[in-house]
Amino acid sequence: MNDSDKEVAKMIDVRGLYCPEPVFRTKIELEKLTIGDKLKVVSDDPESEEDISRWVKRSGHELISLEKKEKDLEFLIKKAK
Amino acid sequence: MTYTTNSDVTQHIGNTPLLELTSYSTENIKFFAKLEWYNPFGSVKDRAAYWMIKHAEKNGFLTKNKSIIIEPSSGNTGIALAGIASSMGYKVEIVIPEKVSQETKRILQDLGAVLHETSDDLCPRVGAGTDQSIALAKAIVKPRPSVYYMPNQYENESNFLAHYESTGPEIWEQTSGKITHFFTGCGTGGTMTGTATFLKEKNRNVRAVAIQAQQNHLLQGLRNFEESDMPDLFKRRESVVDEWFTATNKGSFDSVKNLLEREGLFVGPSSGSVLSCMLNISKSIKQGVLVGIFADDGRKFRSLYKEQEVFTGDEYLSAMSNLPVLDYIKSMN
Repeated sequence: MNDSDKEVAKMIDVRGLYCPEPVFRTKIELEKLTIGDKLKVVSDDPESEEDISRWVKRSGHELISLEKKEKDLEFLIKKAK
Repeated sequence: MTYTTNSDVTQHIGNTPLLELTSYSTENIKFFAKLEWYNPFGSVKDRAAYWMIKHAEKNGFLTKNKSIIIEPSSGNTGIALAGIASSMGYKVEIVIPEKVSQETKRILQDLGAVLHETSDDLCPRVGAGTDQSIALAKAIVKPRPSVYYMPNQYENESNFLAHYESTGPEIWEQTSGKITHFFTGCGTGGTMTGTATFLKEKNRNVRAVAIQAQQNHLLQGLRNFEESDMPDLFKRRESVVDEWFTATNKGSFDSVKNLLEREGLFVGPSSGSVLSCMLNISKSIKQGVLVGIFADDGRKFRSLYKEQEVFTGDEYLSAMSNLPVLDYIKSMN
């Protein structure tokens, strides 16, 4: 775990899963967290870049960052409501 | 509470009663309702669910105590699969739109199914409602093919065969071959294509009348084919349909109320749609024997009927007392 991961309340690895399952798993995990908590999601389905980003925005949460590391996409999401 | 079914339950699928709706029949036009809630898990979907599982077993797609059957469903198929599959030794997961009634979700959970609830905002590019559930179910299966099996009632030929081999022959026999018009609501198209194909093989003059829902509908089990794509299963034999009818929410709920008042039948919304279509067609013919599929009863629709002011709470409870006790409910008490 690196320094930035210490601020994360939960991390889920949805690599190998296909959309819309990564969005579905993200939604379930966010529901378990409290407002202000951060969730890190690691995905390798290219479609999740748009699907997760849009869902986070539509749902009123905050996408703090989206980093691309080779094939992986790392989303850092803050639960806002 | 979780209910565990026993394997005998599958012996009671099909052979449902065909009831004449005497208050609607005239001397020359007879109305009949095929009461599908007499199936063990309360709906016409018991037939498709059983045929799909049998087919999967026969073809080696399932392993007892390992396989998980997953299916997108807004209610009846999920209930049928959960009940029947558990009696045959399989776990069941149902992907269900979150807007489906609490009554339906509770029945599914009582039957031991794990629910995955989808909402329309999850992934809009795949569509709304059931389309979300289909996309998620497919996504769950894709990376785990050795564990999950998705019967997929929208594409599975066994859904057609269930009605070709059971519903069609039953209606032919129960009407002594006198049926002139066949009516059913359409979702997957399995009931329409399977039953009508059989009936037309017996008498090519039997007219098949397909019922779709209006747009933005509240009629569980039906689809509107402008809002949603026609399933592949239906497309394969769409030509079997002679006539289309679009049921409205209001017309369907009025017929639901009317059926209780005139026949003492407490039906689900799609049966109201079927009756309203039968009444409409009866105005344009001089004689006939009309048979409609009444897919389920009203027990899962308490909140919907209250919200739409179809029945008060007291009327609902009174109507419930006249319904047959389903096998699984009997065992849960």
